[in-house]
Amino acid sequence: MPMKKFLNNPADLTAELLDGLQRAYCDKVRIEQERIVVRTNPKPPDKVALVTLGGTGHEPALSGFVGEGMLDAAVAGDIFAAPGAAKLYEALERFNRPAGVILVTLNHNGDRMSASKALRKAQKAGLNVREIIVHEDIAQGPDAPIDQRRGLGGCIPLIKVMGAAAEKGCPLDEVLAIGEAFNSNMATLSVALRTATHPQNGAEIGSLAEDEMEIGMGQHGEGGGGVLKMCTADETARMMVERLMAAVKITPGDQALLIINGSGATTTMELLIVYRAAAKILEEAGVSLVPGLADELLTVQEMAGFQMILCKLPQGADELLRAKANTPYWTSLGV
Amino acid sequence: MTLGEFRQGWLRAQAAVRSREREFSELDAASGGDGDHGTAIVAALDAMVSAEGADFKESLERMAEALEERVSGSTSSLYGSWLEGMAGAVGEGVQELDEGGLAALFEGGLEEVEAATGARVGDKTLMDALIPATVALSKASGAGEAAMLEAGARAALAGAAATDGMVARFGRARNLGERSRGGIDAGAASMAAIWAALAAI
Repeated sequence: MPMKKFLNNPADLTAELLDGLQRAYCDKVRIEQERIVVRTNPKPPDKVALVTLGGTGHEPALSGFVGEGMLDAAVAGDIFAAPGAAKLYEALERFNRPAGVILVTLNHNGDRMSASKALRKAQKAGLNVREIIVHEDIAQGPDAPIDQRRGLGGCIPLIKVMGAAAEKGCPLDEVLAIGEAFNSNMATLSVALRTATHPQNGAEIGSLAEDEMEIGMGQHGEGGGGVLKMCTADETARMMVERLMAAVKITPGDQALLIINGSGATTTMELLIVYRAAAKILEEAGVSLVPGLADELLTVQEMAGFQMILCKLPQGADELLRAKANTPYWTSLGV
Repeated sequence: MTLGEFRQGWLRAQAAVRSREREFSELDAASGGDGDHGTAIVAALDAMVSAEGADFKESLERMAEALEERVSGSTSSLYGSWLEGMAGAVGEGVQELDEGGLAALFEGGLEEVEAATGARVGDKTLMDALIPATVALSKASGAGEAAMLEAGARAALAGAAATDGMVARFGRARNLGERSRGGIDAGAASMAAIWAALAAI
């Protein structure tokens, strides 16, 4: 089937979506140096800055989470393609400060390559930059080597928690420690029902039969290995949440955050039905859930499916999740 | 090899990848990638050949700069490293390379790519073409620069062909496991096409 999307010139997709973002949310973000999305009202320079990088085509991630309480900058590449090291370095240099900069890198080859190149250059130039690598995917098993665990939608609550800590004025080492504690206690599994088309060339990425679903499909439509016959919402939720609970070693009395992140073509109705099913299983296991999300945070074009993200909350994370945020796609009044 | 001949090689490479853009994207999609390798490699070559310089070093540095400035993604990062490594292996003011200079150029390029990625032969990536090509080029020293490039290109083509039947151990296709076995790796195929164009075979 030919691609059916509202597009102009395929080469201009990223420039146009970023311009749309800064026009729609002009009170929150603006674009600098073509590909660097920054806050309209910058954070005071005595606080730690949080910067991330990533390909586009996953909106609202990642640039939709730039703003008070979350990111200082998101460096955009192109559709499904990481920005080059040169552009990332520009952002690190721009936000370098005595308080320090933390780069949040999702574990994908392209992102990691640009990040390590830019970080090498930053180190040589004496910039005060540290890195946290998000790798919470458990499609290859929770004990798979880190290089086989992709960074998925779990980066969003991680950024929320670290951003709130930075906003509070926590020093660099503390923001990093809060991030690492959160990072090592979260796990994500994805499931896809229908694949997406690449918006620049119209090609179908991945393939699934009408009666199949795939657990573990990544956020570029790349396969994850677990092709199954279609299941109900409850069956799918159970299969996934049980694997996630085992991965984060959840025990009765733990506090947890559950997020059902839509991949682009799955309705909010379905996301809510899945959230309900997973939440009930967690509650039956004696887990106390903090307010969660059933929404689109990190999408893959019109892929049908969702990512289920489970975070066992370390001490203090609940408060950071509820703290004030004012970004295009995550706002919280704070408490 | 003169700087002018070197540039002609890259222009042939640009034409070669342009004519096979769709094929590279289809190969990418078939082995579990996101189906945009053709787009990526064409954008990379377009950016690279847009830059020129007065000698080998300056040309390569400018090509790398133009590439990394204009094109996103891992193809751009890897080719950028390749060009930077080549630029680092040649002295200032060099306008013509002898056999030793040609071997050093490609060896320097490979070294920098090896620093940027952990992938090696057998992982079903562009390294399956680039590594044997670089080795074969150096080994053919003594036969003349054209023969060295041709030996490199033949090894690149054989290396790319050998990725058919491999299980991907790098990049996005890795997550497919056994299902990534069929088909030639798109990155290896385009790398071999570029070597063939550089060698004019």
